[in-house]
Amino acid sequence: MNNYQLGEFEEIVLLTVAILNDDAYGVNIKQEIEMRMKRKVSTGAMQTALRRMEAKGYLASEFGEATAVRGGKRKRYFKITPYGVKALEHYKETRMSLWDAIPGTVLDLKICGR
Amino acid sequence: MEDRKIKYYPPTWAVNWLLWFCHADFAEDILGDLQEEYQFHVPATSKRLADFWFVRQVAGMMRPSLMKPFLPFLKLNNKLDMIKNYIKIGLRNLTKYKVSTAINLLGLSTGMAAFILIALFVKDELSYDRNHEHADEIFRITIKNFSGDGETLSRHWAFASAGHGPRIKEDFPQVTHATRFFPWAFPDVVYEDKRLPGEQVVFADPDVFDIFTFPFLQGNKESAFANETSMVISEDVAVRIFGNDWREQDIVGKSVKIEARGAGLSLQITGVMENMPRQQHFHFDYLAPFAIYENFVNNPDAMSNVTGNYNYLTYVRLSDGASSAEVEAGGSAFFDKHIADIRGVKAHNYYGLVLQPLKDIHLTSNISGEIENNGSMSQVIIFSVIGVLLIVVACINYMNLATSRYTRRMKEIGVRKSIGASRGSLISQFITESVMLTVISFPLAVGLAAVALPFVNDFMDKQLSINFLQDFQLFLSVFGLLALVALLAGIYPAVYLSGLDTIRSLKGESTFKTGKVNFRTVLVTFQYVVTIAIIFSLTVLNAQMSYIFNSDPGFDKESVLDVPLSNEIFEKKEAFRNELLSNTEIEKASFVSRIPTGALLDSQGASIFLGDTITPINFRLPCIMVDENFLDTYSIELAAGQDFERYMDSDSVGYYIVNEIAARSLGFLTAEDAIDKRMTYAGVDGKIIGVVKDFHFESLHSEIGPMIMLKNDNYYRRISLKINPVNIKETLSFIETTWAKFDQKNTINYNFVDESFENQYQGEERLSTMFKAFAVLAVLIGCLGMLGMVTFIVERKTKEIGIRKVLGAKSPHIIWLVSQNFIWLISVAALVALPLGYYFMSGWLDTFAYQVTISPVLFVVPILAVVLITLLTILYRTIKAVYINPVKYLRSE
Repeated sequence: MNNYQLGEFEEIVLLTVAILNDDAYGVNIKQEIEMRMKRKVSTGAMQTALRRMEAKGYLASEFGEATAVRGGKRKRYFKITPYGVKALEHYKETRMSLWDAIPGTVLDLKICGR
Repeated sequence: MEDRKIKYYPPTWAVNWLLWFCHADFAEDILGDLQEEYQFHVPATSKRLADFWFVRQVAGMMRPSLMKPFLPFLKLNNKLDMIKNYIKIGLRNLTKYKVSTAINLLGLSTGMAAFILIALFVKDELSYDRNHEHADEIFRITIKNFSGDGETLSRHWAFASAGHGPRIKEDFPQVTHATRFFPWAFPDVVYEDKRLPGEQVVFADPDVFDIFTFPFLQGNKESAFANETSMVISEDVAVRIFGNDWREQDIVGKSVKIEARGAGLSLQITGVMENMPRQQHFHFDYLAPFAIYENFVNNPDAMSNVTGNYNYLTYVRLSDGASSAEVEAGGSAFFDKHIADIRGVKAHNYYGLVLQPLKDIHLTSNISGEIENNGSMSQVIIFSVIGVLLIVVACINYMNLATSRYTRRMKEIGVRKSIGASRGSLISQFITESVMLTVISFPLAVGLAAVALPFVNDFMDKQLSINFLQDFQLFLSVFGLLALVALLAGIYPAVYLSGLDTIRSLKGESTFKTGKVNFRTVLVTFQYVVTIAIIFSLTVLNAQMSYIFNSDPGFDKESVLDVPLSNEIFEKKEAFRNELLSNTEIEKASFVSRIPTGALLDSQGASIFLGDTITPINFRLPCIMVDENFLDTYSIELAAGQDFERYMDSDSVGYYIVNEIAARSLGFLTAEDAIDKRMTYAGVDGKIIGVVKDFHFESLHSEIGPMIMLKNDNYYRRISLKINPVNIKETLSFIETTWAKFDQKNTINYNFVDESFENQYQGEERLSTMFKAFAVLAVLIGCLGMLGMVTFIVERKTKEIGIRKVLGAKSPHIIWLVSQNFIWLISVAALVALPLGYYFMSGWLDTFAYQVTISPVLFVVPILAVVLITLLTILYRTIKAVYINPVKYLRSE
């Protein structure tokens, strides 16, 4: 089951949506990523990633309330699907197995090099 | 409404811009997000910077995945999926209806194959003599001979006299180069111990290399005719003399001997030129300077002669921009200058100059003495028309079959439409299917064409080949053809079927209107028009051919053998004849200068005495020389007077026998009137001793013209033998041994007059056979389409037939019901096709002086044939529908 396809940025967005749980909509997700990752996020890229992951089934979305600051436009709340969770778990596991496969000396050397 | 109020408004145009391109599903929340962020940005920075930020964000949203699918390429993905689906469904359908697929493939591929073959042929015919750099400025000089009035054409030769080339170059400033070609009659070419017997060595003027482009492989055009012992050979000859490795040998400068009848000549090879391309109207392998021949003849008068002795193919190159008409117009002055008045008449009344453009010679020139068999423009046109018709018929055929096949898929169309398939997508589905079929049939077509090509080559005496790498143009045009066929074949079913009523097609009801003229009816009618016109042309063609072969030429051509005499035999011709006649199988023998089925000689000056006045004859009166046995051997009947006697020899006193037309043209009312009238022919005074009934000396292409026969023992060139047809084999071997007794040097060479009679129509034979082959193909393809059409109609009417049967209709009535539509279509088609066919065929018949009359039977035959074919098809399809228990298909709802 190696069918999950996530780019690095997509993975981050997906994780962030999971972190925000019930409060994940555009502005929030963006701020959260910028805060946690300490990097600028392009709204366009993020929106694209969101829609693409929704199309792939990692995310689901629904409209929420409209607020004054939004000029009467509704928010779209994103929610991670079980499939999305599976994908994240898969990525985590593969990363871990890669980490585990690194011979101890490599990491030791790195420590020594400090 | 309270909710909509925001503190800071981003630029309206940017908002509108976003709303314009952003996908409707995403626009609301994305805009909301941006506006929400905007509220932070304005107080944090400034209005201007925030606006700038907003615009940048909007611009950043212009990504395909967020945009509306309004650009075609954005829909491509979806399209590709649909096309995959079309192909899948298409393949399923192709394999499901195997018979109809096979019929379709067969029709399309044979149609295309025939088209490819015809295209190859036409392209080849049109590409003659195009390889010369100056092709547009090159003309062939030909001479027209008139009967002294400057109008009545006596003869038009492809050859000119020896003097024409050089003198025309001298006299006309427009003519920059001129060359003659004089083929030396078949000497042997000898190199060391190698002997190539009977080669054609051609003498040409030095200008030849400036006129024509003959690329050199060794040597060059400047040194080609360096001196009077030079000779240029073709690559072909180089291989034959020096072997395949001639390039490694230094063959330029090698000496080769030319031998003919004892005379020998040593020539140095100065160059090797490429073989002359097939698409050229002459082919020479050896070129040697004309000066060699001039020295050999050693007669300056003969070499500058401009009257008669037409043996020299002459070509000129005009200066850039000069018109050939100007030169032709100058012809009168030219002849008057070089030729003294003939019997008091200016020379231009006897001779005319004609310049034939080089590029037109192959297709349009068909005059006496063409060096090789030329093509004909009308043939090219006829084949092009047939080729296009074939493709069109094959396409119509596909349309018919496809439309009827799709009626079975009514439900599929209905389902697709109700799910939301637009008309456009249905059209692209059907086009996809037709493209599929075309793509499959194309390799089949090329294969078929490749298989048929050797036969066509053999038959048309061509060397066509299919070579896509070499013939990029051909490849392109065939590819275009493919696209065109796919589109043509698919467009009608596509447009038509996609426009059907959804609900009705879902219910499985056919919504085809009956009794109305729709496009489909027009198509079928067109197909009938083509079929009828083609069958009509075929019957006329056949009728004319059999008319020619069975018509009485006025002489007996059966079991008459024609033997050309050699010089050796000519010396002892009387003895030779007596020896032959000693065999009782050889019934008659006659010496002649030319035989019927050949061309008549030149007209010579003549005058007739009417009462006491001499009247010069102003019409063409060509002659042949025959002996006293001629009329008997060929069973030509006398209308009046007598045959030649043995003593009559027109050397000093003329004894003349004319044909009836000549007698009439001379002004005599009856044949008897002409007898014993005094006349002069070619300067010999004499009288008319007999009048023969008209017979066809020349082919039936030309009308029987006046002719005159003289007896002159010095001019016989051949002997005609009437032999007993029973023991032909023994008789022939007897003739051969007798020949060998009299002439050991030359071998005998004979042919039967009836064969040469038929050979006169070889061109027509060829044309008619090719035409038949392609026509049969067109008719067959048409029948396939008809089969599809009938199937369609019968299927459409099964319920109607069922109900009628239940109500008591008889089978013949039902068959009539189906047929009557077609009978109407055929009638309309016949009304269009027959006049068209008549128009074209009478044009063709006009090339014959003696034509079969197009009788009403010829009109009826094609109609009957088409009706018969249609009825048989209908019967085949209907009988099934008629004899099945009506309950079976009435139940199928």
